[in-house]
Amino acid sequence: MISEALKKSLTERVAGAITPREAAVDVMKELQAHYGWLTDEAVAEAASLLGLSPLQVEELATFYEMIYRRPVGKKVIHVCDSISCWCADCDGIIEHLKKRLGVELGGTTADGMYTLLPCACMGRCGDSPAMSVGGTPYGHLTPHLVDEILEKERRA
Amino acid sequence: MPKLIIDDIPVEVPPGTSVLEAARSVGITIPHFCYHPALAIAAACRLCAVKLLDGPVKGIQMSCSLPAQDGMVVSTTDPEALKMRSLVIEWLMLNHPHDCPVCDEGGECLLQDFTIAGGHSRRRYVGKKRTFQNQYLGEGIHHEMNRCIECYRCVRFYQEYAGGTDFGVTGSAGRVYFGRFAEGALESPFSGNLVDICPTGVFTDKTGRFRARYWDYEFAPAVCQHCSVGCNTSPQNFQRELIKIVARRNDQVNGWFICDRGRFDKEYLNGPQRPRYPEIGGAPGEYRLALEAAANRISEFCLQNGPAGLAFVGSGRLSLEGCLVLAELARVVGAPVSYFAEAAPAQGSLAAVRLLNEQNAARIHDIEKAECIALFELDLMEEGAMLSLAVRKASLAGAQVFRVGGAREGEKRQLPFRYQEVATLDEVPFEGGSKGVVICGAGGKSPELLSYLASSGARLVMLQPGPNAFGAALVSLERKGATLSDLVESGQIKAVVCFEADLPPWLLERVEVLACADWKRGGLTEKASVLLPTTTWVESNGTSINYEGRAQRFLRSRPAGLPLKGLDPKYYSSETEAVALHPPHVHRNYIPGGAEREAWRVMADLMLELGGEPVNEPLTGTWGKLRDLDPEGEGVRIYDLVSAQELS
Ligand code: SF4
Ligand code: SF4
Ligand code: FES
Ligand code: FES
Repeated sequence: MISEALKKSLTERVAGAITPREAAVDVMKELQAHYGWLTDEAVAEAASLLGLSPLQVEELATFYEMIYRRPVGKKVIHVCDSISCWCADCDGIIEHLKKRLGVELGGTTADGMYTLLPCACMGRCGDSPAMSVGGTPYGHLTPHLVDEILEKERRA
Repeated sequence: MPKLIIDDIPVEVPPGTSVLEAARSVGITIPHFCYHPALAIAAACRLCAVKLLDGPVKGIQMSCSLPAQDGMVVSTTDPEALKMRSLVIEWLMLNHPHDCPVCDEGGECLLQDFTIAGGHSRRRYVGKKRTFQNQYLGEGIHHEMNRCIECYRCVRFYQEYAGGTDFGVTGSAGRVYFGRFAEGALESPFSGNLVDICPTGVFTDKTGRFRARYWDYEFAPAVCQHCSVGCNTSPQNFQRELIKIVARRNDQVNGWFICDRGRFDKEYLNGPQRPRYPEIGGAPGEYRLALEAAANRISEFCLQNGPAGLAFVGSGRLSLEGCLVLAELARVVGAPVSYFAEAAPAQGSLAAVRLLNEQNAARIHDIEKAECIALFELDLMEEGAMLSLAVRKASLAGAQVFRVGGAREGEKRQLPFRYQEVATLDEVPFEGGSKGVVICGAGGKSPELLSYLASSGARLVMLQPGPNAFGAALVSLERKGATLSDLVESGQIKAVVCFEADLPPWLLERVEVLACADWKRGGLTEKASVLLPTTTWVESNGTSINYEGRAQRFLRSRPAGLPLKGLDPKYYSSETEAVALHPPHVHRNYIPGGAEREAWRVMADLMLELGGEPVNEPLTGTWGKLRDLDPEGEGVRIYDLVSAQELS
């Protein structure tokens, strides 16, 4: 369930778009912020706000990397595995993350703090290997730096 | 018009034609998956590569999305293009389960054909294949996602073409998935077309899986007999059983597709309840004896009551041939002929046939290109589902669509396009009329109302209450047919002889049924003292005339008789045990249950019994011009053959 206030603001957002589909990402992000992830309930709510079918919302939701259709931890780590980062040994960084967090790709730490996901190029190739944690980008990663970031983000 | 050269062949095509289509026009098939003539270009599969050797563009190009231009020199056989295609097909096949032997698509699979044509025959990939969970999609369609090659044909058809919203594409990259939000029956009444349009075996027809292979089937060009649109189909029969129905292209009628009713509603053709043997007084008998019994009963009745007390009754279910011979039969006896049981459907049907002419009867393209469309008091999804896709096309192109008079009672299906509700036809802004279309159901409408609709100046679609009700109405006008209920109510008629007719209970109660010929059971067959089984459209040659006056020929695709599957044990060497799916081991020179005949042949036989002339060719006189109708053609509109105005 979403609040009347949120519903109203989303309805306005949709009304202001040239086509409702255009507002879909905003609506999904807001609902995701509300629930923590895009629940089935949220998909149905988005569908009714946008005048689409749940399937049509699902089509968009599952296309975008930062819309989560499964429960995630408090912060999501997107670690880049595209070409530049791969050249800069993102594989090593990913292995390190997995070991440090005790999860596989796609997993969430036991304390519910982090979810680890691979992602496509973030446009930070110059800083490769790169990742983002809870939306904050980090580059030039080393195992040591990763540990520091995880600590810092855990406290933040 | 662009002139280009493809594989040394000069080609000239209309502007906007793609290189792939231009090649096709001279008989060169460039392998393709995502391209489909009815759908928008996606250029998703990358299989249709050709090399342009000279002209405005050069090098490897996707032929499906490249418009043909002047001066292009195209090679479809250039080694670079061949290499590209073989690599593309190899990658499309990476995850394919290689399960053709257990796939119902095998043998009629575009993926098989183009994998071979593309030159990929040896698997090099040794990694793990991605696999998917299938979904339950209802009783019509089986889902097998692992076979998908991501051509996007299904979703483009389902959402863009047919306006469905509950099926689509989810995921990204290597996880692209074609299905529903959650398991459940597909909602679109056109969902069955996924079977035809998917180039591989992701969607197969659940109602006919694992029964036979393509080369086992008996085919013939057929015309759907569920409604008066008359979509073209290709029934696939195996051992006298209709296994599947697929759409057959006719650009003047149904394009590439059919509705789910036309595809899946077929059990009545194979079912054990169908009358298979003649019956005399309820007991099975020989065809000849039944004919004699029917003739005797008719003669006796005429002796006692005079022929005017008897009516020969047909319906819009009869083929044109049946309608014509019925009139002859009635003439031989001297009795009235009737093609309509009740007054309401009769007057609407007849009035529509009188009103329509070459100019005002809308063609399918008139609907698609209309600027303003009014749906007048009809349940379009029930009375002519396929037309809704033409209306949708118009609507997407900007036409205004209005529904006059609200939803019909019992309307179940949503219309796949946007429309406005209005109370009366006067609110519909037809301008000039030439680009306007009114769509209504003719049955049950008064002649005045239909004339009023015609006076709007718009083109007209008047859907008929039966697959060949248009033909029946024409013949009724020509042969001065009466409406049965009128004859009965005036007290003139006491008995009937019916051919593929349906009488409402109140009418049935008031007449004696001397004989009845039909392929389905009902009140009439129950009551008839003689029953003669007729063949359905699958076992018949015939002609039917659709709502717009288009005569179309359909051909027999299997012999009459009981399907081999489920055949009674008495036909096998063992009296008690049928050998499932295997022909009987005992030789016979007849087909079990094969006594059904085309309705017009039953009429002709009966005529002979009654002292009439033999009928060898039912289409005579003006109708003779329809004899050469090409079953694989587009059909012909009858307006310049027969004029309803002159007939009446
Ligand atoms: S399911 Fe069939 S039609 Fe749909 S994308 Fe896959 S291969 Fe193409
Ligand atoms: S629209 Fe009518 S004729 Fe066409 S497939 Fe459907 S039921 Fe058959
Ligand atoms: S490849 Fe990793 S940020 Fe571009
Ligand atoms: S047919 Fe041309 S890219 Fe698929």
